[in-house]
Formats: sequence, structure tokens, C-alpha cells
Amino acid sequence: MTKRKKWQVIPGLVALAVLATTLSAYQGASSQQGYAPAQPIAFPHPRHVQDLGMNCLYCHFSADKAPDPGLPAVGTCMGCHTIAGAQLPEVQKLAAYWNARQPIPWERIHKVPDYVQFPHMRHVNAGVTCQQCHGPVQEMDRVYQFSSLNMGWCVDCHVQNQARYDCSTCHY
Amino acid sequence: MSTDTGSSGVKRRDFLKIMGTAGATTAAVGCGIDDPGKLIPYLVHPDQTTPGVSTYYATTCRECAAGCGLIAETRDGRTIKLEGNPAHPVNRGALCARGQAALQGLYNPDRYRAPMIREGDAWRETTWDDALAQLTQRLAAVRGAGAANAVFINQHETGSFPAFLDEWLAAYGIGPHLGYEALGQQAVARAHREAYGVAWPRLRFDRARLVVSFGADFLEDWGVSVPQQLDFADARARVENAPRLVYVGPRRSLTGLNADEWIPAKAGSELEIARLLLGETSTAQAAEASGVSEETLVRLQREVQGAGQSMILAGSTAANAYDLALAATRLNRQLGNVGTTIVPGEGFADDDRAASLADMLDLVRRMDAGQVPLAMVRGANPAHSMPRNARFAEAFAKVPVKIGFSSYPDETMALCDIVLPDHHPLESWGAAVPMPGVVSLQQPAMTAVYGEFDPRFAGSRPTADVLLQVAKADAQVGGRWANVADWRALLFSRLPGGEPAITEALTRGFIRGSLPAAARPAPRAAAAAAPPPAIASTAGDFDLVVYPSPVLGDGRGANKPWLQELPDPVTKVVWSSWVEIHPATAERLGIERGDLVRVTTAAGNVVVPALPYLGVRPDTLAIATGQGHAVYGRALYWEERSGDGARIGVNAMDLVPAAADPRSGAILLTVTRAALERTGDDVQIPTTEGSARQHGRGIARAIVASELGTLRTASGAEQATEIAPTGQSGTTGQPTETAAHAPEPDTTFLPGLRSPTANDAEGIFGNDSSKYQGMYAPDHWSRMADRRWAMTIDLARCTGCSACVTACYAENNIPVVGMPYQATAFPQRDGTPGENILRSREMNWIRLERYFEGGWHGGTDPGDVGNFESRFVPMLCQHCGNAPCEPVCPVYATYHSPDGLNVQVYNRCVGTRYCSNNCPYKVRYFNWFGYGEEARPQYAFKYPLNLQLNPDVNVRGKGVMEKCSFCVQRIREAENRATLEGRELEPDEFTTACAAACPSRAIVFGDAADPRWAVSGLVHDPRSYHVFAELNTFTAVVYLQKVIHPGEGQPSSAPAASGAH
Repeated sequence: MTKRKKWQVIPGLVALAVLATTLSAYQGASSQQGYAPAQPIAFPHPRHVQDLGMNCLYCHFSADKAPDPGLPAVGTCMGCHTIAGAQLPEVQKLAAYWNARQPIPWERIHKVPDYVQFPHMRHVNAGVTCQQCHGPVQEMDRVYQFSSLNMGWCVDCHVQNQARYDCSTCHY
Repeated sequence: MSTDTGSSGVKRRDFLKIMGTAGATTAAVGCGIDDPGKLIPYLVHPDQTTPGVSTYYATTCRECAAGCGLIAETRDGRTIKLEGNPAHPVNRGALCARGQAALQGLYNPDRYRAPMIREGDAWRETTWDDALAQLTQRLAAVRGAGAANAVFINQHETGSFPAFLDEWLAAYGIGPHLGYEALGQQAVARAHREAYGVAWPRLRFDRARLVVSFGADFLEDWGVSVPQQLDFADARARVENAPRLVYVGPRRSLTGLNADEWIPAKAGSELEIARLLLGETSTAQAAEASGVSEETLVRLQREVQGAGQSMILAGSTAANAYDLALAATRLNRQLGNVGTTIVPGEGFADDDRAASLADMLDLVRRMDAGQVPLAMVRGANPAHSMPRNARFAEAFAKVPVKIGFSSYPDETMALCDIVLPDHHPLESWGAAVPMPGVVSLQQPAMTAVYGEFDPRFAGSRPTADVLLQVAKADAQVGGRWANVADWRALLFSRLPGGEPAITEALTRGFIRGSLPAAARPAPRAAAAAAPPPAIASTAGDFDLVVYPSPVLGDGRGANKPWLQELPDPVTKVVWSSWVEIHPATAERLGIERGDLVRVTTAAGNVVVPALPYLGVRPDTLAIATGQGHAVYGRALYWEERSGDGARIGVNAMDLVPAAADPRSGAILLTVTRAALERTGDDVQIPTTEGSARQHGRGIARAIVASELGTLRTASGAEQATEIAPTGQSGTTGQPTETAAHAPEPDTTFLPGLRSPTANDAEGIFGNDSSKYQGMYAPDHWSRMADRRWAMTIDLARCTGCSACVTACYAENNIPVVGMPYQATAFPQRDGTPGENILRSREMNWIRLERYFEGGWHGGTDPGDVGNFESRFVPMLCQHCGNAPCEPVCPVYATYHSPDGLNVQVYNRCVGTRYCSNNCPYKVRYFNWFGYGEEARPQYAFKYPLNLQLNPDVNVRGKGVMEKCSFCVQRIREAENRATLEGRELEPDEFTTACAAACPSRAIVFGDAADPRWAVSGLVHDPRSYHVFAELNTFTAVVYLQKVIHPGEGQPSSAPAASGAH
């Protein structure tokens, strides 16, 4: 193909790519919705929440008082699992981390960009349930990203619930 | 399909290639997600921490010997911000720029990461076991006869470590250590001790009507600067009965620029003037010696006699500093100031306990003679900060065994054989005695950066623990510490009250009580030091003033990028050295700004750019200490690429003769004349200053004290016309440059400070019935419009110290842009330090503008030379109610929030820079490079500096505009906290980083719409004005005019004349 021909084709294709990108962005396809990576330990939320009746805040202990929701320390897990279910293969993986004094490298699922400040405690204390954003985690055998976490999704909820939607509420 | 390349068809293969690429691009762009990364939990959750919430530790600043109290904010194990401890009796919540920058010492990329052993010219990292074994072995080798001659040089500090150190040295048969203070002020401290009983009495500026400073830079390095600045600013802010400050000396320092009058006396002649005031000499003689007119001296004499309460302070650098200080104390006694304005009972720590230059010269002589078998150094760098011709480095090199205990490689550590890196003070336990009866506690604010936080390295260890461990392992010396677990236990057992009391006091930061004083050897006085020859008898055409840098100190600050990038408060120069020369002299010699000149004294010479500065006498040159390091900060600034000789600036100590005061042994800096010679080359001096003149714009306004009454009696609209800009006052009869064009100050800005109503961005043209009310409506459910965040800056208080600037850098993740490797887009070569700033790419969200009024008219008459005034204005985003930047943004990245903030949304910004072009205050800063992106060559937060980044503030990317946010993260945090606790914000519950740091308390931040906040009252102060109010910007920053206290017959502000610089 000659250079001349190439310059006839490429701009058109680039335009096509831009269009596709734009459209996909509007449809929320730029989010990671549905992302469900395999975790180093197949932690069963349903077993802990539904069968044992544990509250989210038992492990995610600072969701109601800090910007960060809190991730249970390995020691917290071992508080029960030194005895409870010690023979289960996944619990043995946990024990292996504990014995090696290594933290568990969980795959992160929910992440907003650096330029967004998301204080969990404001939402939890305003009566937003965990499930509203994170979905029915208590039913997820493998946790996935339930919501799009796009800005439009944030703002919709803020407007409906009469929360501030000024830019400087979240961006600074 | 044709295969003919000339046909119009696209080949199938090419089509697929292109489509494949395009598809991949679409996929990459459209679905490209940042890898969310991992979530790493704790193994065991630490006590007292909540993720994302800061923990605060009260500790003690060790950046100088003053011992200010700190509150260290620690988030998720990393210390991210230092602020003054409001309860602490020394600094009362304020913190200077050097204290702020302690964080960049903590996270310094140059810090030793492991113990080091020298092998020939190379260094080898080693383990702590090996290093301790080596130390034990070296100590054992000098045991016996040699031990008495061994020496330990520690940085001068007060408190518990020096006492323990002497005890430890004694166990090895070694004499007491030397507490090294490069710029020790024993001359003054000793005179004070003899006259008042304490080295540094409390200065009650509020009781004085007149302060005469003979070169005593009490806002900089003289005495204990932060409490002195607090007291001075408080006294000056009273406006009525505020003390008038007269500064006498050859160079107008920062303290001098804060003076109402400068009497430019010849270097060393201050004593004659003091003697005149004592009545011990004649006016003619004093005038002859000082080069000041008799008329001025008579006026000064009359003023001092008639002032009532006054305060006479003497500087510490002239050759006759001790006599001068004694004369000042006699004068104070004669004038009845002792016990009133000068209060010995509330004094500060004993600086004259530091080893003097005479002590150090004696040590150099002994080392040179080969008498010293072992030298240990901790935290001191005499190879750089002692006068070069004292030949410390050469003598030190002759010591057979040299052991270092410092945190950073410096010129002295480079000469050592073993380095056992010390913890940073923010990682260590300790106690200081900043003032009699107060023990300031020092506790770790975080685990050690190297070794604990980052376990990849062997890391540092506290020297006290190292010494204890070595001693305990040695049967011959360790007995007395056999039952002591570690340094912390030993420290606690010695503090008043013991462990339970200390544990309780740690949250407060200090305890009342005292520590057993370290036994110190009697000062060696002048045994080794020849008294300096009279300055007039030395060779050269100019008196040379060498002054301690207010920012870098003796050079300790030079490895901290924040301090290099902080403009010198007087000259506004960054990343450089310079020699100050009077414009008249420069003109006579044909020297222009930036011309490289060689300054030569009997001690040595340096080549340095010349900087014409109004504040030096025409027969005087001035140069600051602190720069010219060969080793310090190398990895940080120069990466690995540069060879030797890559330095920032020159070391002024190369010019200072090693002459000590015969009485006190103190170092004397202004003791020699110097020759000046042009080299023919020139450089550009990096500066953040655009113009030193206001050009009639009325940015920094001042009012004469006597006219304040007219402001106070006036009210409402009358106020507007009654406020006379400085210079229109009757004292001169001449309108000034400022007055000629300055807009009429008025109070029409006040609508901008009310709670915003509908479309407040339209200022007075907006109205409540507009259909564009939206969120700006006062009754909008968000309730954001209830508040109007605003700030007042009192120029009568501001001293220009620039602590706010560094505080802002620390709080808001502002990148430093002047590092040599950041200068260019080509990483193959290093640029000039500060090159980005030469290109006006500086990023200081708040900057300290310094303007001169009046000034030199071409003559060399001292009366003419001293006749200028300076004004400092902290300039930051004014958060205009009617902001010029907002309507020009094509992407709505900058807009006005209902609570009165001019918000910059970084993720919307596309970098057109229209907003910056349209900003009349020039407070918007553009990210020309990816300073926050690790992969870019200009990355400003080289590991581990990035650990300091404030997690509440976004690190801005390349191509984005940024500016002061009024610390919006603090506003939101306070709102979140209040909501969480189910309450409203308390008045003055929080403040911005600049206001929190300010040692003058000049900055007040708060909600102007709520009368319970302090700021809402201050905005109605009669002195208030807005910068560029005529532009209808309705700013949220309100300045309060500076107040000038002219002397009898003195012009209030120098008349502007042609030729003014």
C-alpha cells in the first residue's frame, strides 16, 4: 500500500475508534463493572454472612468511622480459624500466610481514581447500605464489581438523596 | 483484488493490519482500566489506628537547638505533616520553615540505608552485626592511654542525650563530648549570662515602645526565633503603642526589613553607636566610625532617652560582638529595661554551653599534631560549616580511626572509616530542655523509614542504643547499664516523674521539671584562637558581611528540596548563592545582576553571581552561609550522572578567617574586608520575583500609625475615603508612587464576603431573582451556601519569614521543580539548579512577595542609602467571588463553589492555561512536566519522599493547572468529622496549613458568614483592603494594612523619585 492510500484509510479508522470509545464510555463500558478476579484465597462471603450471620462491619471495621472501610488483618481471620474450619483447604492457605508472617495479597476490585475522595463513613452513616454500591456481596461466591462507579452513577444517587454534588465535594 | 500497488484498492493484508491496530486501540482506550492493584491487610492490626484517619504524636523538633514542640500527623504508619504543638511553651503552635522541612530529612533519598565501611576510596554496605563488631574493636584499640585523647563531636543539643553521652564516654575513659554549633552565638550568650544570668532572656516586645537592634536578627537566627517572632508580631499587631523598631548594621536582614528605620552603620561600628548611647563617646567620633550622620545619631540618642520602655539588642557576628553585647546589656540596665522588656526569668536554653570555635580550633590543632587516636562524629558537619582555612578536613583526615553516626552522607561523613547511621529525630526517643523548667519530650512519630518501614535495608539505629549495646557487651565498661533494657528505658528512668508520669505526658509533649545537667568542661576560651585583627586593617575594598542563611542555616537545610526551593525571604533567590552589592557600587563598577565576581579575602575566595540589593552599604558586600556542599544531597539532586564539582552555590565559610572571639571563643563572621573582581562571565540568578516594585498597584499597603485614628473614627462609606494610602500622609508632603495610582480603598468588596446568593459570581450585578440560582441559592438543600470561607492576612504582623510557604508544600503535595535533573526534557544531561524557576515554572501556591518603597536615588550618602521601606505580602489564590479565571475555562474545570471557594477540578482540566493568563494575581501554576509521575524524568517525589505525600490531596498530573485550594481537604475533613459527631462546625475548629504554621499569627482563616468565627470580625477591621479591588473580583482574602511607625522627623515612606530601584 502506498503512503497516499494509507492516509486515506487511517483517519477514517481513527475516527471510528474515537466514536466507539465515546459510545462505550456513555454506556458505562469504561468501568470495570463485573470485574471478578480470582482471589488468593476463595473467601466465601455467603458462608460468613448468611450462614454465620456476621455483620459487614465485623471485618470491615472502619466503614462507619473512617474514609477507608478497613480490611481485616490476617490476625482477625485467625482469631476464629485457628480452630474453626482449620482442616478446610482454603483455611489452610490462610494458616500458611499466617505462619509465614505474610499478608494475604487480595486482588482489589473496587477502586475510584486518585482524584476522587470517597469517605465511606459519610455514606454508611447517611444510611446507604453496603449493598447499594457493592451489590449482594452476601450472595457472591466470588466478589465482583457490582456498580459502574462512574461519575454519573455517583451523581444520580447524590441528587436523588439530596447529598451535595458540588465538584469540590469529591474532587480535590 | 489487484496486487498492483498502483491501484486504488487497499490490500487485504494492509486492511487487516490497520483494522487490527485500530481495534486494539479502541480496546485499549475504551476499556483500558488502571489495574486496581492489591489490597494488603495488616498481619495484626496495630493499636490506636484507624485506616485513613491520622494519628497525632507530640514530639520535639531537632532541626536546631531551640527545641520547639511538634505535633506529627501520621497516617497509616507514615508521618505526613508537622505542625507546632499549641500547648508547648516555646513555640505555642507555630513552626518555622526549617521545622516543617524536617520531613524531607526523614524521607531523604540520600539517607544512609545501611552501616557503611570504607575500603580505600570506596564504601561498602555492611550488616549491623559487622558494624557493631567493628565499633567494639576500634573502641577496644584506644582503651588505656589513648582514650583520654579520643574525641566525640555531637551536634549541639540540649536534653538527655548529651548527659548520657558524657557518661558513656567517661566509661571508656574519654573526656566530655563537644556540642558542635557551627554558628554558635556564645559572644552574646555569654554577655547575657554575665548581665542577666541567662543566655537568652525572654523579650517582651509588648512592653517596649522602642526596640534598637544592633544587627540582632531576632526574627532569624538570633536567640530562639519562633517565640521571639510570636512576641514581636503580637506587640506590633496592637497597632497602638506598638514598638518602633530601629535596625543598626551594615546589612538590612529580614529583621532589618521589618524595622521602621535602618541606620546603615559600617561593619563593626555598632559598638561606637552603642557607646554613644551610653554617653561614653562623642557624637562626632561615633559618626566618624559608623559613617552615619551626626544628625541621625543625635536623633537616635534622643529617641532612646525619651522612649520610656525600650529594648536594646546586640548581634553576634561583628568582631567586637562580645563588647557590643555587653554594651547593650549596660544600656538596658541604664534604661531600666531589665525585668520589664527583658525578662531573664523566662529565658531560653543555654546556647553558650555549645562548643565554641575556639574549642574546635584547639581540636583541629590536636588532630593535626596526631594526638587524637579516635574521633567520633554525630549529626555535625564541621568539614563544611567551619571556616575553610581552619583546615578541619585536613586535620580530621589524620585521625587514625574516624567513626560517624549521622543520617546523611556529608563532607565530614565522607572522611570517616565507619558510618553507623542514626535514626532521624522523628524516629527516636529523647528529651530536650528548651527553657529552664521545661522538659520537651521526643517520641517516634513513625517506625524507622529504613530498616523497619522498608525492611529491604539494614537501616539506621538510634545512636544512643548503639552506644548502649556496645557498652553492655563489654565487661569492662558495661556494668552500670547491665539492668537497662534500652535507651528508651534509660531515658524514662531519668526524666522527672519516671515512666508513669512520662507516659501520661507524652500526649502533651512536655513536662515541667528539669534534667540533671551534663557536666561540661570549662570553655577553652581563646587558648587556641588568635583574636581577629581589626576589620579595617584587613585587605580589600569592601567590608564583608557573612550572615547565617535564614532558610538553610549553617548548611543543614541544603539537602531538603523544600528549603532550596523556598525563596530567600530578603532576596527571593532560590537554588543558588549570591553576593549582595549596593546598586550604587554595582553601577560604579559596571556590575550587573548575575555577573560572576570573585570575592577574595585573606582566607580564600569564591566565584559567585552579584546581586544588587538596596539593603547593604555601598562599601559592603554580603553573602549567606549554607550552600556549596560537595556531598550533601547528591543522590537527590544530581542522580548518578554528574561528576565531581556539581554543587549548588558556594560555601561562604571559604571566606571567613578562623578567628574566634578572645573572651567567649565564639565564631565571628563579619571580621574581614574583601576584594571584588569581575570574572567576565555571568549567569542567571534563579528567583521567583517579578518586580521588587509595586508600580503603583497598591498590592501591599501601609498606613502611618498616627493616622490610624482617622480610620477608627470613620465608619461606613466614610471609611472608604478616609483611608489614606501611605505616603499621602502629611509627614512627607509628597505623594508616593503608590499613592499616585493606587485605587481608592473602599469597602464595596464586602458583598463578596457575604454568604453567596444567587449567581454570586456576578458580584453586585447578581440578584436573588435570577433564574440561574441552582446551588447558589441560599436555601438550596445542600446548605453549602451557608458558609463563605475567607481569610485575613494582617500585614502588621507578617514578617516575611515564609514558614507558610513550606507548610503549604508539605500539606498540598506541591512538587519541587528546581532540582537540577528536572530542568530539561532530556535526561541525558543535568541542568542548572533552579532552571525551571528561571523559566517561571515555580509552583508555590502561596508566595511571599517582598516590595520596596522609596530607596536609593543615586548617592552614597548613608541617609539616602537607608531610606527605603519594605513590605511583605503573602500572595495566594484570592478565591474571588467574581473570578476572572472562571469564565475563560472552556471545560468548566475552574468554577465557584457555593461555600465560596474557587475550585480547580484537576480531572477536568485540559491545560489551556487561559485561567492563568486571565488571573490578575498570578497565583495559578501549571504542571509543565509530570512531576508526580514516577516514570517521568522530572519526578519530584523520589522514593522515599513520596511516603510524605498527603493522601487527602490529589497529586496533579502533567498538563494540569493547580493553585491554592484554601486547604479544601481540611474543610471537608472538618465537615465530615462534625457530621459524624452529629454537630455543627465549631468556630475556628480548624485552619489552613499556612495559618497553622505562621509564627506571626498573621493569617486567619474561617467562615466569614458566621459571626462567631474570628475571621468574620477581622474582615471589618478599619485597615482591611482587597488587592485589586478595582477589578471587581470580590476576593475572599482580605489584607490588613501594614502599620508604619516613623521616627521623629522621619518620612513615613520614602518619596518615590526617578531612578529608584
